[in-house]
Amino acid sequence: MPGAWTIAQRLVEDFHQTAFVHALGGSLRRMAIGYVLVTAIGIVGGMALGRFKLLDEVLGGVAVSIHAIPGAAWVPLAILWFGATERAVIFTILLGATGIVIVHTDSGIKEVAPNILRAAKTMGAKGINLFWHVIVPAAIPRIVDGLRLAWAFGWRALMAGELLTSVAGLGQMLNTVAKARQLDQLLALMLLFAFIGASVDGLIFKRLEQSVRTRWGLA
Amino acid sequence: MTQALTEQERRKIAEATKPASSTEAEPHVVVESLYKSFAHNGGRVEVLQEINLSIRQGEFVCLLGPSGCGKSTLINIIAGLDAPDRGRVLIHGQPVTRPGVDRVVVFQDASLFPWLTVLGNVEFGPKMQGIASGERRAKALELIKLVHLSKFANAYPYQLSGGMKQRVAIARALAMDPEILLMDEPFGALDAQTRGMLQRELLEIWQATGKTVVFVTHNVREATGLGERVFEISARPGRIKHAYAVDLPQPRSNSDPRLLSLQQKILGSLGEEIAKVMQDETGLPYEPQEGRVAAAPDRALGMHI
Ligand SMILES: Nc1ncnc2c1ncn2[C@@H]1O[C@H](COP(=O)(O)OP(=O)(O)OP(=O)(O)O)[C@@H](O)[C@H]1O
Ligand SMILES: [Mg+2]
Repeated sequence: MPGAWTIAQRLVEDFHQTAFVHALGGSLRRMAIGYVLVTAIGIVGGMALGRFKLLDEVLGGVAVSIHAIPGAAWVPLAILWFGATERAVIFTILLGATGIVIVHTDSGIKEVAPNILRAAKTMGAKGINLFWHVIVPAAIPRIVDGLRLAWAFGWRALMAGELLTSVAGLGQMLNTVAKARQLDQLLALMLLFAFIGASVDGLIFKRLEQSVRTRWGLA
Repeated sequence: MTQALTEQERRKIAEATKPASSTEAEPHVVVESLYKSFAHNGGRVEVLQEINLSIRQGEFVCLLGPSGCGKSTLINIIAGLDAPDRGRVLIHGQPVTRPGVDRVVVFQDASLFPWLTVLGNVEFGPKMQGIASGERRAKALELIKLVHLSKFANAYPYQLSGGMKQRVAIARALAMDPEILLMDEPFGALDAQTRGMLQRELLEIWQATGKTVVFVTHNVREATGLGERVFEISARPGRIKHAYAVDLPQPRSNSDPRLLSLQQKILGSLGEEIAKVMQDETGLPYEPQEGRVAAAPDRALGMHI
């Protein structure tokens, strides 16, 4: 019983502390930068793999392997390369979440319904027109699925990166309060992770996915 | 001097020396001893065998046959979406090697682009042709009006009923102004009323535009109601089993005794094919219940196989 209420109180109090605001801002900024990069690289990479067979044969396996490595496992390498810096955290997000976007975009592009392609071809669509005006839009539901998962993967990778690099952020705060044995604050922070992660997923991605699925006639 | 003849001049001479009737009689679509098989369980299954067709310009023909006999395969080959194993398709004497904007397919499932509005779908073909946006929009709106969907021009496909989607697919095909409409069971999934209405609309469009129509169906009443000729395709392997001429003017009455007797004749022949398919698929002999079908020509039974 003391749990939820104390934690909530603790949260409200924490918001007034400049250190906390600073940490939260830092985490969100890194996540935003990382996620934008994940989206851009993931979609472009997935489209390239989906479109160019040769590239797919050479790099397709690499994308799948990277996707199979948990984000946290990239942290040591990130620190080795970039030191315990913000860049290392962003690198971790990138490696932890780009694979899923590539894999989804790639499969979305390869799995366009045959009749959609046939209809487009009989209407004279070919080459780059066919790709941009038919294949890419047809792949959007899959791409959105990938982006939603990438948010969840990236958010986890962010925390892993921050815990291990001690860059000012929520992850580092978590370390600090754990060392000071401040259980209330520790739980408050964890609840905050869950809250932000789930809110963005529920308020943005779930809605986006739902509206795309409806429009594309999949729901 | 004779060597300096341009292509155009040569054609003019050829035209002038032809008998007067020959341009008219030259068929629009010719299918020449066409064969098609598919890989199946490590072997190959023959789907189409020795298909020969000759379709006049402006003719409305129906391809009728049981499920799986290769109707869609044939449509895809005529469209240039699929290549035959042997034989060829000629359009105005030119062999088909790839899809062409003179032949547009209307698919059974409409296959509209879900990310585009009705207007966007109908505009798609002209857009691919590089037609200016103002011009293609005007044309698209006109066609949307023709299929009675003006109110839905800005709706997305998921907001439309099956019959409405099919009408969009027809408008989208007409926007290409193709010489040939290839229609693969376009009304197969619709209820009888909607189907009847769309059939009448299609006939009006056909009569107004004079397009050559190849219409696939497995519905005997639909085939005889629409086609000037009906080609019956046999089951596995698909061959042209019969060609029936339907020498009745449009609009045809469903109760015309000549139409009914033709339907009876086709149903009898088709029954044999269905028996073959059943036996093929179940491994058991199948006895078609001739009496029942023959006694109830008006019932849906057997009319929509
Ligand atoms: N790409 C393919 N690979 C393997 N087999 C195929 C392929 N396309 C069609 N077939 C087979 O060819 C046969 C004919 O198929 P097709 O779709 O042309 O039949 P259909 O007459 O249009 O049937 P329906 O009336 O059910 O639409 C079927 O047995 C099908 O299994
Ligand atoms: Mg078919």
